[in-house]
Amino acid sequence: MKDYIILRIITKLTIPLILLFGLYVQFHGDYSAGGGFQAGVILASGFILYNIIFGIDVGKAVLSQRMSKILMGIGVLLFVGVGIMGIILGGNFLEYNSFSFDSTSGQMIGIFLIEIGVGLTVGNVMILVFYAFNNEES
Amino acid sequence: MFSRNLFAAIMSMTIFSMICALVFLLLDGVDVSLTEAAVGAGISTILFLSSLKHMDFIIKKNTKPFLFSLVLFLVLTASLSYIISDLPKFGEAKASTDSYVTDYYLKNTDQEIGIPNVVTSVLASYRGFDTLGEVVVIFIAGISVIGILRKEYKEQ
Repeated sequence: MKDYIILRIITKLTIPLILLFGLYVQFHGDYSAGGGFQAGVILASGFILYNIIFGIDVGKAVLSQRMSKILMGIGVLLFVGVGIMGIILGGNFLEYNSFSFDSTSGQMIGIFLIEIGVGLTVGNVMILVFYAFNNEES
Repeated sequence: MFSRNLFAAIMSMTIFSMICALVFLLLDGVDVSLTEAAVGAGISTILFLSSLKHMDFIIKKNTKPFLFSLVLFLVLTASLSYIISDLPKFGEAKASTDSYVTDYYLKNTDQEIGIPNVVTSVLASYRGFDTLGEVVVIFIAGISVIGILRKEYKEQ
């Protein structure tokens, strides 16, 4: 669809804003609405818009299917890893109190890390499902 | 939803999701509203539309089971409307959602977790194990979709 000049220009203008909003929702989820789940979906939809307008091949050069699968796994492993870190540092599974010198900053670090894990997994699953549906067209 | 045209059905579902998001926003559920707008109205429309390419547009006209589905629809609507009278009234103090757990979260989030958004603190810390389950479910769903559609890809 890259022959349509209006679509191309509007996409180029909006994609940075979508990605910025996604990152804002991801990292500002502690203070306002949002979190990893919403951020993953918003980032994935920005990337899918790029794929629709400029073609799957160009999109796959940015984030290949293999890389996306690896990132999807890393998200879950990060979540479980944070949980196990809680056990190693002397608490329960997914207890973040001992991550830092006092319990509230430990909680903040733990929540920050697992939100990144959730965002990675959700976003990459959405991108991979989109790739899976659109694989045969070049 | 009664349309035979799948494209119209998908679009009406998107509009329904968007209205749902607005309703959640009016009820002060900002996090849920954001999720509904992003997932229900945004990405599921794209995924439905991309799956639409793989199937035949025309659904065979079949008027026979219409009466049966009409009766089923009426019975379900009647039974669900009957149950509505058992639900707690909107904003009632004794409703089960306002039990002691909600009070505990609202009072202690500031000292125990230290972040202003109570929804995030419940989601990520108090109920972290539930969220882990959700993420694993999404992970498994993604793997299944890739696995189901993989064969088709390999043949071509």
